[in-house]
Amino acid sequence: MTKQQENLSAFMDGELSQTEIIDAIKQDPVLQAKWQRYHVIRSGLRKEATVAPQLDITARVAEALTNEPTVMAPRSRWESIPLLGNVIPFAKQAGQFAVAASVAAAVIVGVQYSNQPSHTEPFSTFTTVGPQGGLAPVSLEQTRTLPRNDMAMMLEKKRKINALIADHEQQVKLKQAEEQSAAAEEQQGSEN
Amino acid sequence: MNRLSSINRPAPRKLAVLFKRATLISIFSVSMLRAEVSAQQSNTSAVEAEHSTSQSSDISDNTSVTQNIENVEENERDFLTAKQWLARLTEATQSLNYQVSFIQSRAGSETIPYLWRHGVLEDGTTVEQLNLQNGPGRELIRVGNVVSVFEPDVPPYSLYSASINGPIPSQLLYNPRALTKSYKFIKVGRARVSGRSAQHIRIVSLDNSRFSYQLWLDEASGMLLKFNMLDLNGNLLEQIQVTSLSIQKEPHPYFARVNQATLPQPMVITPSQPRKHHWEVDYLPRGMKEVKRDIRRLALTGQIVEYKMFSDGLVDVSVYVQMADDAIGADMVLRHDVNTFLTLTDGQAQVTVVGEIPLNTANAIATSLSMHRPDSNG
Repeated sequence: MTKQQENLSAFMDGELSQTEIIDAIKQDPVLQAKWQRYHVIRSGLRKEATVAPQLDITARVAEALTNEPTVMAPRSRWESIPLLGNVIPFAKQAGQFAVAASVAAAVIVGVQYSNQPSHTEPFSTFTTVGPQGGLAPVSLEQTRTLPRNDMAMMLEKKRKINALIADHEQQVKLKQAEEQSAAAEEQQGSEN
Repeated sequence: MNRLSSINRPAPRKLAVLFKRATLISIFSVSMLRAEVSAQQSNTSAVEAEHSTSQSSDISDNTSVTQNIENVEENERDFLTAKQWLARLTEATQSLNYQVSFIQSRAGSETIPYLWRHGVLEDGTTVEQLNLQNGPGRELIRVGNVVSVFEPDVPPYSLYSASINGPIPSQLLYNPRALTKSYKFIKVGRARVSGRSAQHIRIVSLDNSRFSYQLWLDEASGMLLKFNMLDLNGNLLEQIQVTSLSIQKEPHPYFARVNQATLPQPMVITPSQPRKHHWEVDYLPRGMKEVKRDIRRLALTGQIVEYKMFSDGLVDVSVYVQMADDAIGADMVLRHDVNTFLTLTDGQAQVTVVGEIPLNTANAIATSLSMHRPDSNG
């Protein structure tokens, strides 16, 4: 085992040209986990880490979500609208794929937040995105210091905006896959 | 470039292609071509060529025809229309073995480099690879109609898809004909891009309601060299620039190393059943049609939305309708990458339009929404 770990480490550093270690990694989940951790550590050390180590939880979150029972809308608000009884929870639609897409979007948002000046000083750069290509700049921003509850509201707004944008991007990605899935299923059906 | 010129074909085959294409144009230009060609060539090959013109339908079955296109005589290229250039693009991207490096750049953000490889295996299966070259990377591999995705923070997965959904719109590459309902293709002329002679083609929406595009195609091979997305004022929104292009006879050795058995099994994504909405969009840009509708929860916030997607093949537009008291609460316009985000509140409902369209168009779509009276069948 330790021999294999040594090999793994050597392989990652490019000092090992044998390919047996690849097979070993494929067979052994412990080595796989190590492989991933080493990479996370390495990219961390090189400061190119866009993969935070805790993102390993995505798989578990996704799993938990797919196993979760169907959640319905709060009754009081949606009772009046027909059809909503059949709302599909998002996790069921595309499983891990959906979660993965949304996690990615959330990460980007996180970066934006951390780039904002701290709210103790007045700030004037609260746009989600810079003005580009002819559109007028977005005016969520204020030139005065915001009271805290406004701040929270603003973040909530941003969260909702990002939810919609992330959803749009995910739908665009899924569009093609859905069409093709249907075609592939039909094909398999006719073969059987 | 050297590799390109090494793929030579005997003269009669060249002519065959020449005439196959020529028949596509008008009879007039064919007769002109004939006159020119027969002046250049010996009498015998001209006769052969005429012979093959009459059988051009048979030739079109021949898959190797596309390879000959690389060697088409220059005078023939002048006769190709913009649509025929796009047809060449489709043929070239689907049938050649190539390796392309390109960068994608957007105003105000970093350029993103990609590596794109394509090959046709011996059994006829097409394989394709798209690799994001910076950072931890993102790799997409397509074998036949299954695309496998390898990303750093997600377990690998596969989807059914006949093309990799990369930065270059796949409809433009694989089915430009379908875009003619919404766009017109205009041939601009010759230019030099990535050190090669290129044909410049513009794609403009018929009703001027969408962004326009410019593309430059390699004269020798028909491959894409440069692709611009412009807003209505002609400002650059996004650019894809090929930095290196090499076309080989054999698929890249990379594809031999892809172990198809170890790729993840494709997930089947069943499209959700279309749901009945109590609203319709009355205005749509020309050629755009509804491709999807449902009711569901947003992944990030769990809000329930009624959703419709519209597409003209090149751009996809999402329209969301949700209860106003649960929504963003203010009318606003944002730009996210090249997507326009517009949200309007009207009484009880909040309407949000997201897509790669100009603001005016998004506004026209959002304000054209009309409600139906909910009927008892719901």
